[in-house]
Amino acid sequence: MPLFSYIVRRILQMIPTVVFILIVTFVLIRLLPGDPASAMLGDRARDADVARINASLGLDKPVLVQFFYFVRRIATGDLGDSITLKTPVVQLIAQRLPVTLMLIGMAAVIALLLAVPLAFVAALRREKAADTVIRGTFQVGLSMPVFYIGILLLTVFAANLKWFPVGGYGDTLSSKLYHLFLPALTLALSFAAVLMRNLRTAIIGVINAEYVDFARSKGLRSRVILIRHVLRNALISTITLFGLQIGSLLGGGVITETVFAVPGAGRLMIDSIYGRDYPVLQGLTIALAVLVCLTFLVTDIVQAWLDPRVAR
Amino acid sequence: MKTIAKAALVAGLLLGTSLSAHAVERGGTLNYGRYADSLFLEPVLNDANVDIWVLSNLYDTLLLPTDDGKGVQAGLASAWKLADDGLSVTLTLRDGIKFSDGTPITPQDVAWSLKRAAKPDNGEWTFIVGSIGDVTTEGDKTVIVKLKNTDPAILTALTVFNTGIMPQKAFEAAAGTTDAEKAKAFAEHPIGSGPFMLKSWDRGSTMKLVRNPYYWGMGEDGKALPYLDGINFEVIPDDATRILKLNSGELDGAEFIPYSRVDELKSAGNLNMELYPSTRVQYITLNARPQLDGKDNPLSNAKVREAMNYAANKEAIIQIVTHGVGKPMTSYMSSATPLHTGDKPLFPYDLEKAKSLMKEAGFEKGFSTSLLVLAGNQDEIGIATALQQMWGQIGIKLDLQQVDNASRTAQYRAGTFAMREAAWTDDIADPNEITSYFVYSPNIGALHTGWKSEEADKLFETSQKEIDVTKRAADYARIQAIYNAEGPIVPLYETPYPVALSKKVHGFLQIPLGNNIFTKTWLDK
Repeated sequence: MPLFSYIVRRILQMIPTVVFILIVTFVLIRLLPGDPASAMLGDRARDADVARINASLGLDKPVLVQFFYFVRRIATGDLGDSITLKTPVVQLIAQRLPVTLMLIGMAAVIALLLAVPLAFVAALRREKAADTVIRGTFQVGLSMPVFYIGILLLTVFAANLKWFPVGGYGDTLSSKLYHLFLPALTLALSFAAVLMRNLRTAIIGVINAEYVDFARSKGLRSRVILIRHVLRNALISTITLFGLQIGSLLGGGVITETVFAVPGAGRLMIDSIYGRDYPVLQGLTIALAVLVCLTFLVTDIVQAWLDPRVAR
Repeated sequence: MKTIAKAALVAGLLLGTSLSAHAVERGGTLNYGRYADSLFLEPVLNDANVDIWVLSNLYDTLLLPTDDGKGVQAGLASAWKLADDGLSVTLTLRDGIKFSDGTPITPQDVAWSLKRAAKPDNGEWTFIVGSIGDVTTEGDKTVIVKLKNTDPAILTALTVFNTGIMPQKAFEAAAGTTDAEKAKAFAEHPIGSGPFMLKSWDRGSTMKLVRNPYYWGMGEDGKALPYLDGINFEVIPDDATRILKLNSGELDGAEFIPYSRVDELKSAGNLNMELYPSTRVQYITLNARPQLDGKDNPLSNAKVREAMNYAANKEAIIQIVTHGVGKPMTSYMSSATPLHTGDKPLFPYDLEKAKSLMKEAGFEKGFSTSLLVLAGNQDEIGIATALQQMWGQIGIKLDLQQVDNASRTAQYRAGTFAMREAAWTDDIADPNEITSYFVYSPNIGALHTGWKSEEADKLFETSQKEIDVTKRAADYARIQAIYNAEGPIVPLYETPYPVALSKKVHGFLQIPLGNNIFTKTWLDK
């Protein structure tokens, strides 16, 4: 029961966060110099054209009135139409966000598959050759800029070896997974490096704990000890880190999306900032804010499940 | 004799082989990498080059630009005649022309499309057809465009994207009540009469076009154009990825090759590195208002502007930024623009002259000013840092302000900027568009600089109605002489459109206005 009330409490806490993000986004984008009509029409715009378009978008009204219309629309689930693309924002988000989610999902799986076993090896072979090699390799991965890793992977595995396509996005699910593998790997490398370092330290901390010695003295098999006692306890801090990383990838995958020509939400976000496309930016921010909050919620729930003390 | 016969046979075979290698082949889909996706596929209400440059593949116009982009040739109209008084154009439509849904193109569709394009307040491009007063029809093949005043550019205007012919009934049947709402709905599933039609569009990723079976054009083989079955436009914003994809054979062509990679791709055995002549010019805009931010503005002094022009080593900038691909400007308009005059680079580098002009202007010790640079744009940053160093030699301290495009446009339109970097491409094969923005002060105040020449303004107004070709050319020669001598810009360079194509691609063309023409493109099997 404490877990259930904890979940309800956390969901309720999300509401003011999302509302706050909504207000900040609405105000911040209007503080930026330039307006949608000027951004859309470019340098050749005449005053009359700009005024006409801004009026048709309701941008000639006071900001408070605009905010009222905005909230009223959101309450009905309508995020408005994109100013530059002239299509409903909901439709755009429905097209782009799943691409980013799939990319992040794949990156997270690859990162976990790399980080967990290697963290064990590094922790159990602490300060030995295997540990040094694993930590050194990840250090290089972590220090290299994402766009550089991306171009490197594209050149080697796509252009030269032709194992993967050079960027883009497929039509069918299998083709999409195939297209997204290299960008997911690019994101996963630095993701895994952070997780591996954290998990390795946590495992080293736990492995010498008294309850592990106790489990060992009970004669439990080492695999059972490692999974049930060491991993479960070591994962607690790593899970938080995992959640935070997923949260930052939701809005921060834009470089990878650009290098690999993946039509995800990150590129849509950047385009909408440059184009001062207020409805898209607002809609996308809300969607991403909710997703980030949900990620943190799931992280907290998993953490509470692993460590019941958290929920108390 | 035997030897001669054998030689003739071998020569004949060789000739036959080479001829067959150049005979067109039909079919196949061309994969073309674009740097950015289109936004809105509608001829009248679109705003950007990413739309304009592909629209002619979907929407046909009455007349078409010639390959050099300077003249006109038959399009949906097979014949046309400008009245002697210059106040009307009578056009005869081709027999049996149809839209891509198979419905016939009627003179009523044409009249409606042109009137919609000319309607004031209907989009950004109405000025191109601003002289159109009315459009009437006669019988089932004749359209008469009646003008409010003589317009020397009217035939050229009928080749421009915003005069694309659309089906009136289908447009009016589209969802929505206003023209803008109907245009939104129509553009989702456009119906035109260009060589291709839209099959699917995954925004930000892929746009697929397929051949329009009703297109009127005939190929070299006597069958209907286009030769291709379709085109896949793939959006790949990153230059390096676009080139990798081309090299790996996943693309057959890629646009906007960075200048730094042109030489490398020229020597690639599997590619043709094309540099299509363009109307693109790169320049610095100087605010010429007497006062700026409450202080006296040195840039308002014509001698200072001249000095800055002489101190800017354009040849060096062309080498640094365009890796030699660009060429110096000989007028404010590109050499590919009709009625361009001038055969010598403007203001060749002369530091001593620049210094003495600064002295004459009373700025021997120089001054401080700023330049707006598009953040993250390597070409602009390259130009800015080169100019910072070059102008430093005549005592000008240049503060580089990196901003995004919308912020820059806001300062530009408000006239509060000191200097900015800019580029221009013509949308119509006529000098009137660029001149109305650069020179003619009633439009946007000569690039929002506050510069004004009454003589140039008057000449422009006259030239807009002058149908005597020689007199109009003389007007433009004078306008160019005035502006090139004292105008509020530092002209930097002209650049071509760098497009890399696989060797198996033939017959692709990008005209100086930027339009990508795939009508006669074909692929080796």
